[in-house]
Amino acid sequence: MNTGEIYNPNPIIFSPKKSSGRKSDLLARSLWLEGSTQTEDEANQPEPIDQDEIFVLTPCKDLIRSIYDPEHPNTLEELRVVSAPQIDVGQNHVRVEFTPTVPHCGMSTLIGLSIRVRLLRSLPNRFKVDIYVKPGSHQSEHAVNKQLNDKERVAAALENPTLVQTVEHCLSQQ
Amino acid sequence: MESTQRLVRTWIATGREQEIDETVSEISNGQTSLLNVVKALGDYLTSEEEDLRSKGVDFLSSVISRCPPQKFNMSSVRVLTSFYCDKLGDTEAIVPSLKGLVSLSMLPSISSADASAIIRALFEHIRMKALVQSVRFNVFTIVDTLMAKHRDVLKEINNEFLDGYISLADGEKDPRNLLVAFAIARVILIEFDITRHVESLFNITFCYFPITFRPPPNDPYGITTEQLRTALRSCLNGTPAFGSLAIPLFLEKLLAGSPSTKRDTLESMAVCLPVYGPAVARSFARKLWSSIKLEIFQPTDPLTEQEALKAIQVLVTTIHAPEERAIEDDEDIQGFARDACIECLQILKEPEKSQAKPAIKVLCAFVSTIPSIARYTVSQAVSHLVKLFMSPDEVLTRPAIMQLLLELIAAIRDSSLKNNLEVVQHLALLGPYKDEVFSVTVVALGTDSTRRFALLMLICLVMMKGLLSDDEIGMVVNIANDILQSNPDEDDSTSDALISLLAMIATTNSRLIEESTLPILFSALPDDAPTRDANVERAKCWRILNTLSKLCLQPDLFETLVVRLLTKLDFVCVPRSDAMLMDIEPNSAYAHAILKTISRTLSSKVEKGHADIQKHINRFIPQLCNLLIYSALVSDEQEMPAADHRVVGAAAEVVSIVVQTLTPNQQEVFMTTLIKFIYSNELEDHFEGSRKFPPGKTLNIFNGSCSTPRNNLVALLAAGLIPLHAQVTISVPDLSQFLRDIRIWCINYAGNDLQHESAWHIMSVIVNKQTEGVMEFLQDTLGSFWQTEVLDSAKPIPHRQEAIRAFKSVAKGLLVNGHSLLLRFRDALFEVVKNEEIGWEAAKAIGEIAVIDNVLTKKNHAVVKYLYSQKYVSQALPRIVANSRDSDNPSSQMAHLVALTTVIRAVTRAAYAHAMPLLMPLLLRGLVIPDAAIRASIIDTLLDIAISGESLEQNIISQHATSLVNAMLNNCVDDQVQSVRVRIAALRLLAALPGLVRYDVLHPSKPTVLRELAKALDDPKRAVRKEAVEARSNWYD
Repeated sequence: MNTGEIYNPNPIIFSPKKSSGRKSDLLARSLWLEGSTQTEDEANQPEPIDQDEIFVLTPCKDLIRSIYDPEHPNTLEELRVVSAPQIDVGQNHVRVEFTPTVPHCGMSTLIGLSIRVRLLRSLPNRFKVDIYVKPGSHQSEHAVNKQLNDKERVAAALENPTLVQTVEHCLSQQ
Repeated sequence: MESTQRLVRTWIATGREQEIDETVSEISNGQTSLLNVVKALGDYLTSEEEDLRSKGVDFLSSVISRCPPQKFNMSSVRVLTSFYCDKLGDTEAIVPSLKGLVSLSMLPSISSADASAIIRALFEHIRMKALVQSVRFNVFTIVDTLMAKHRDVLKEINNEFLDGYISLADGEKDPRNLLVAFAIARVILIEFDITRHVESLFNITFCYFPITFRPPPNDPYGITTEQLRTALRSCLNGTPAFGSLAIPLFLEKLLAGSPSTKRDTLESMAVCLPVYGPAVARSFARKLWSSIKLEIFQPTDPLTEQEALKAIQVLVTTIHAPEERAIEDDEDIQGFARDACIECLQILKEPEKSQAKPAIKVLCAFVSTIPSIARYTVSQAVSHLVKLFMSPDEVLTRPAIMQLLLELIAAIRDSSLKNNLEVVQHLALLGPYKDEVFSVTVVALGTDSTRRFALLMLICLVMMKGLLSDDEIGMVVNIANDILQSNPDEDDSTSDALISLLAMIATTNSRLIEESTLPILFSALPDDAPTRDANVERAKCWRILNTLSKLCLQPDLFETLVVRLLTKLDFVCVPRSDAMLMDIEPNSAYAHAILKTISRTLSSKVEKGHADIQKHINRFIPQLCNLLIYSALVSDEQEMPAADHRVVGAAAEVVSIVVQTLTPNQQEVFMTTLIKFIYSNELEDHFEGSRKFPPGKTLNIFNGSCSTPRNNLVALLAAGLIPLHAQVTISVPDLSQFLRDIRIWCINYAGNDLQHESAWHIMSVIVNKQTEGVMEFLQDTLGSFWQTEVLDSAKPIPHRQEAIRAFKSVAKGLLVNGHSLLLRFRDALFEVVKNEEIGWEAAKAIGEIAVIDNVLTKKNHAVVKYLYSQKYVSQALPRIVANSRDSDNPSSQMAHLVALTTVIRAVTRAAYAHAMPLLMPLLLRGLVIPDAAIRASIIDTLLDIAISGESLEQNIISQHATSLVNAMLNNCVDDQVQSVRVRIAALRLLAALPGLVRYDVLHPSKPTVLRELAKALDDPKRAVRKEAVEARSNWYD
């Protein structure tokens, strides 16, 4: 980091949750073990976007859980900054709550911004996204929330090339 | 003499190669001598005119360089040497003189005195900075040659030589010269007395570290960074004397460098430290540890981290290896390794924190250094982690502790595997702590959160031979069985670990598994198929079957598996109650799953080369055939589960795998019976198993229309025929007639995919293996069949298309064995591509012939011609391309486009890469074909080309980037394109483009793409959305 200051040098790492096989998949399986004659093209049932999809799209390309922490080579999931139950998906509305690793974490806004950018790029326009710090988990909770959900401020932040580069780094590092 | 003079004069005037060659050949065959050449050159060599003088010397040098070595004697060499050495002082003649010296120095007849004269002259006259690269290269070459041939002479003048050489080499920058210079430097460092020159030698070598040279594009010399690096490294570790100078420099580079510099530095340290020796290593140990540690605890990237760990290993080994002998009963090592170890253990006191991972990595690295360190590390770390695990305060962090312990144990296993000391090493290391680790693991098995690590740990422990006693393995199996029974909802990674643990034990202690695990699994498998709605039940069945297929690979276990599963199959396939008759499909599905399990197990056994497959041809295969034939016969009266085409297909797969492994004789015996049954309708005693066939019935398949279940049995026939050896006689009266029967049946009576494919396969394999024997059939296919079934426009179109497909399968057999008759088949197909009714089918057939399938393979004993598919495509491609560019006839043009896409999908990219500039516009035009499958395969082809990474392909993609982008955007949005496959393919290609094409080409499209992709993000299908997200985020970057 530019400041050289590390807010939490040795955070706790959680092992990733059990692989998120969708329960619904198991039940929707066909009668036949493999080589079912029905191809996907014919089964034209829409599959709506749900909480799992926001958190983890598939094991390889994830929306939120694969975002990296700006300070550590760990994902937000490993640091348990975000988890699936903290995401709430409505018809046209997504609410994400995240927990900074330490209450004085100066990276909170950056983490929130990364989440917002990822969702901005990956969700259809019809969704409204709200991002909040978990109540009581950050000392300047109100300020962070305000900053993250203010359209103008987010737009302004995304005009800043260094900031965009850092966000890009969090989103793409692997 | 005169001719020599003439040649010299001509050369001076013209400078042609020819004169030099003539002079050399005259010298070689004794018409003239070197002396004559010098005489003839006389005036030129001493001419006042600089240009002439230089030319004269040049001519002499050129002649010398081409003369055979035996033409030089001691005295001529001496004269020439002293002449050239003098000339080095002549500014104009330096360049040609050096050229002459290069050849002279290589001669065998050069004496020590000459050598030292040359080297002195070089040092006296040459100022490297004034010379160009190629000339400097000559200087280095001379020194290098002398170094190789007259090293003793150079050693005699040690200090003089070193002084001279160092000033020669100082400041050299060209990579070609440096490669030579580094080689010279290494010899100097190793063999010369360098005590007075350490510092200057250090300066002329270490100034190049780290190598940052990047070869220019299309570099004709082909020098790589890697070459330079290794050459330089061989200098850096040339002498221990560099030690105290070098390490501070390394540390500095490590601190400041880019990732690649860091890696280079770490690698160099790893090769240098052993040379610099323990004393130096020890004195810098603290500093080295604290900088290298940084690369492990805050790694820039995984590669650098790996190198850092290696460097640490080298450091530890260098410091402690000399004491190794002195330490006898270990436990207590002193110094650096101990300090580092304790530091890591300190960090491990908080196992859940992020720093614990690198700490355990360091300890794991220690394990594969030297025995005393490994013993110390293991003893400290294992007891520390075990104690921590047992402590009641740490219950919450147990998963983390288990993970760390697992890494350590895995490191012990790997280090002993690597050193091939298996038994001795891991027993010595882990033996004393085995009981503790084992009991911790058993505890960890009890909790959900630690179970997976515990299972992985057990896998490691079982893998280390001799570590666990049989009783302990028995206990492991018991616990594993309990888990197997009690946790139906286990997540995938845990149950995978469980299965691989049991499978591992099955390879060594198969009896344990057979006696305790298999009964549990078999009893959990229901006798009746789960009903249509019982999804959970069904998933459980599948899971059990999957587990069984992984466990039962050993011969005895496999035998049990087959016996038990066939009994199940019998239960499932013969209806016993009315309830079962109400809905027969779940039973078929269950039977299908059971058969698939057997075939999957068989395939794994084939891969592992097990020899016990053959004998099953007389055990369960007859039983299986009995069941299938019985079901087909009975199905006239009632529906039978095993009459379903999918069940028959799975059974055919099993039969095919077993027949594949038989010897020709065994195959012949089996096939005779099978053919008797299915083809000749003789329902005799063979295959008489548990079911008696209903009396008075025959299969009667090829004699006209009969029921679907009976027709399905052709798959069984195909399964037997496909893997036959070519020399096996097929017991039918007339092979051509047999094939004709099959062909007629195929186009007239076959009713589903299984039947069609079986018939095609039978035709292609027999044609492939018995080409000469079925010539009559082949001629007939080309002649009357083609006329009456395909060309006759009175016949219905679907019938004609079916005939084309049958025709194609015959052609395929010929293509694979490279028979010349194929050309007539191909031309016949090309003829009808223009036909509006059946053109597309023929076009597809042209391409599909070339597809490499898994029927006509070496494994199935087919006659396979090398690269048959590529040859065919390269012949067919020009014709298709020419036709599809022909714009007079739009419909035939379209059909040829179809042929084009199918053809190029059939082969790998390399076969058509050269034609890409021609193909690209055609492919783009093909994207408007309404057939979704064809469009999807075009897009897949384009994607293949795009990500191939070859520069030619990249250029083509870049040229067409904009049109590609537009075409893909048209194909990726839900409301315009029905096919999910097309949408996914289009999005994948879009996602690949930003990485391949320069940004300035794509920039104009960016806003459109992002806007259109936003629509794709809202696709009803999850799989499509996933690709859309990927594509869109790639376009943002």
